[in-house]
Amino acid sequence: MSLVSQRPEPGPPRPWSFPSFERREVAGGRVITCHLPGKPLAVLELVADAGAVTEPAGKEGVAEIVVRALSEGAGEYDAYGFAVAGERLGATWRSHTDWDSFRCGFEVPVGDLVGAAELLAAAVREPRLDEASLLRVRDERVDEIRLDLSQPGPRAGAAFAAAVWAPDCRYAVPDGGTAETVAALTPDDVRDFHGTRLRPDAVTLVIVGDLDATDADAAARVVFDGWSGTCTETPPLRPPVPRSTGARVVLVDRPGSVQSMLYAGHDAPNRRTPDYVPMTTMALVLGGMFNSRLNYRLREDKGYSYGAFGGFDARRDAGIFVARSAVQTEVTAPALVAAVAEIRTMHETGSTDPELEQARSYRAGVFPINFAGPGAVASGLADLVVHDLPDDHYDRLRQDVLDVRLDAVNAAAAQRLRPDDLVSVVVGDASAVADELRAAGLGPVEVLTDEG
Amino acid sequence: MLTVVPVLPDYPYTLHTLDNGLRVVVIEDHLAPVAAVNVWYDVGSRHETPGRTGFAHLFEHLMFQGSTHVSRNDHFGLISAAGGTLNGTTWCDRTNYYETVPAHHLETALWLEADRMGGLLDALDQQNLDNQREVVKNEKRQTRDNQPYGSWLDLVHRHAWPEGHPYQHSTIGSMADLDAASLEDARGFYSTWYGPDNAVLSVVGDVDTAATLDAVSRYFGGIPAKGSYPPSPPSDLPRLIGAEVRRTVPDRVPVPRVFVAYRCPPFGTPEFDALELAAIVLGGGRGCRLYKSLVLDRGLLQAPDGDVTSTWPFVAGATVFIADLPAREGADIAELEAAYHEIAEGLGDGVTEAEMERARAVHTSTWLHHLATVDGRADMFSQVTTLFGDPGLVNTLLPRQLAVTADDVAAVARDFLRPDNRVVLVFEPAGDPEDTEEAAA
Repeated sequence: MSLVSQRPEPGPPRPWSFPSFERREVAGGRVITCHLPGKPLAVLELVADAGAVTEPAGKEGVAEIVVRALSEGAGEYDAYGFAVAGERLGATWRSHTDWDSFRCGFEVPVGDLVGAAELLAAAVREPRLDEASLLRVRDERVDEIRLDLSQPGPRAGAAFAAAVWAPDCRYAVPDGGTAETVAALTPDDVRDFHGTRLRPDAVTLVIVGDLDATDADAAARVVFDGWSGTCTETPPLRPPVPRSTGARVVLVDRPGSVQSMLYAGHDAPNRRTPDYVPMTTMALVLGGMFNSRLNYRLREDKGYSYGAFGGFDARRDAGIFVARSAVQTEVTAPALVAAVAEIRTMHETGSTDPELEQARSYRAGVFPINFAGPGAVASGLADLVVHDLPDDHYDRLRQDVLDVRLDAVNAAAAQRLRPDDLVSVVVGDASAVADELRAAGLGPVEVLTDEG
Repeated sequence: MLTVVPVLPDYPYTLHTLDNGLRVVVIEDHLAPVAAVNVWYDVGSRHETPGRTGFAHLFEHLMFQGSTHVSRNDHFGLISAAGGTLNGTTWCDRTNYYETVPAHHLETALWLEADRMGGLLDALDQQNLDNQREVVKNEKRQTRDNQPYGSWLDLVHRHAWPEGHPYQHSTIGSMADLDAASLEDARGFYSTWYGPDNAVLSVVGDVDTAATLDAVSRYFGGIPAKGSYPPSPPSDLPRLIGAEVRRTVPDRVPVPRVFVAYRCPPFGTPEFDALELAAIVLGGGRGCRLYKSLVLDRGLLQAPDGDVTSTWPFVAGATVFIADLPAREGADIAELEAAYHEIAEGLGDGVTEAEMERARAVHTSTWLHHLATVDGRADMFSQVTTLFGDPGLVNTLLPRQLAVTADDVAAVARDFLRPDNRVVLVFEPAGDPEDTEEAAA
């Protein structure tokens, strides 16, 4: 038997750049088109400045209800008729809200793009928003939140948000709202949000696919022609304020758990921070790749977990840093201590050159893989709109990643990781883990009873 | 003038078999400078021996722990440093390993796959086994034991197939069997199943076919064929379950949820093709019968993220058709279940042409979506070549399924979606979950 002992050298790198695209105005609307030849499916995505941070106080979760309600009857279609009309084209409806954006649209065989645009136009311009449908969508969403919170990951995420941010801050509750805030929404709340935020001057239509096989302009005209109205001013964000400084532990009791879900992190800079590239590259070394320190320590070295990851979520107004892992109940405290130790070590001594080289080449190399299809490209283009980024953003970002230096990465580690401020959330069996967590020296331990 | 993009897949491919039996499928796609490498081994959890459930999957983890010329962290390290992504999965009929890399790193991925195909035993040791055993046990806890409703998969396997059938246990296996797995088992499993003549390698992307085949023979050509593999475990079984199997599972869950599983002819049969379409008419997307009645009209069923009904693509003896029915808060679970059965069995009374057109369009888009990326396409080529020996099925299977008629769908609904052929699992909220072994005993 013979195996080749020598690892092959890579060939010469082949050039890649983000697919070229055009920003234009069609029928008064903002449109971005991108040609991907030969792809049988195209993507039509409408992105609006109507994310969770634009929700009025007390109406947390209304954006998500609106995006779901759009497909529950629009124009000539009732909910079932809308579903069937799209699916008979082979079109798949996708909708989503997050902190900073509101997105909906179709993935559709490219020849039926205009037909899908007609449905999209009906959904965003003429949704029925009838009382019965809105109440059903709202109540389904409440059920869904309860179902989510019965799982350790979402439960930890909600507890983490509440522990990191001051109580009156929007970020203190999940972007999709809580069971209480959603249950309190009325049909008029939903109609108001739609009427004030889903206006043509606050949306951009992204079309990605084989533009030789469809008439993108016709699709855009269908969406924008004759649509008028202006969006209300985006309300000023209640400034995101961290709840407190100093390390502490929140233990959410989930009796009978055979694992503990661990979150450890703190508030972090927003998307516009000047050290975005060094900060996020540092996070790859710490917890963003399989061979990152957190996964190596908790999984490959200790066998505590199926996986451990960490990184930044840099939103428009502020962000978070969080490390996460689900660990066997018996090793809860040592696993959390080990994760915190990795964060502290990175904060104090930074990355090594080989680690940085791996993170840099991974992050730069993976661009063409991450932007492989129309859906990913459309999503990337929508992100440009959401964060007001320039046309050459992705190519420039890739170059910035290749150029990032160790001293900048280590400066970001020293400044952006704050081990003494870590808020640790543990969702697990308190009777089994509370005592050892109190003894672990990670700050005072507060025990919450899980009502999920 | 608009060009027309074909709506059905039509991918030119090259199938080449090395002297050692390794089947290689190459598909060129020059849109982006990336390449997907995907290896399917024709071994999965159905090939496990009694007392060693979960072993095929545990073994998959060991394949990332180094080999003759590859050190312990190098699979992830080298592919990450190349700007690539990678992973492996195990299911009843297969174990697959895959990398997607910038195309100029193609040979790195091929070299890594060849080294572990031919040289795993040089790196296998007790420390790696013990570490990955704990990782896998935590995977089981994270994905099953610590999740609400987490035992449903195990229960479907246990009850939809008869005692002793190779699908009667789930891929994740049992904690006791994972604890019992030894280094000797790992050496034996590798020596028995892992050889070039039991594998399919697919390469899709910005590659040259001739140069790729050259590289493949350079890296894999020296691995000797094993020549023979054990016969598949016997998988014959009665066509139907014969009587309803019903289990009530008290669990720490927020709402009741019913799972229904029917025993069905396996992937590859005309009946399975019809059941794929039946799953869409009945419970796929939002224009299906179940969504309209149970979500929109009656408010009994929690609106799903995905589909309410689906099939599993198993090939040995029989597979299952599954319905997943979480109740709305406050809905009567018995009413939900009864309404579901009425609709499911009603499929046998006939299906309209409009329903079929919708189902065909949805099915087509689902296929195209899976095939849209080079990694998805590579996995599909490896799958059909491993299971059926014909890579051309990537192009021909969809048209074959689209030829299913309304009568075919009604016929398979009558034949298989029936009370004496179903497993019904009813999860009910309870303060303390019972041990599911007892609950099901």
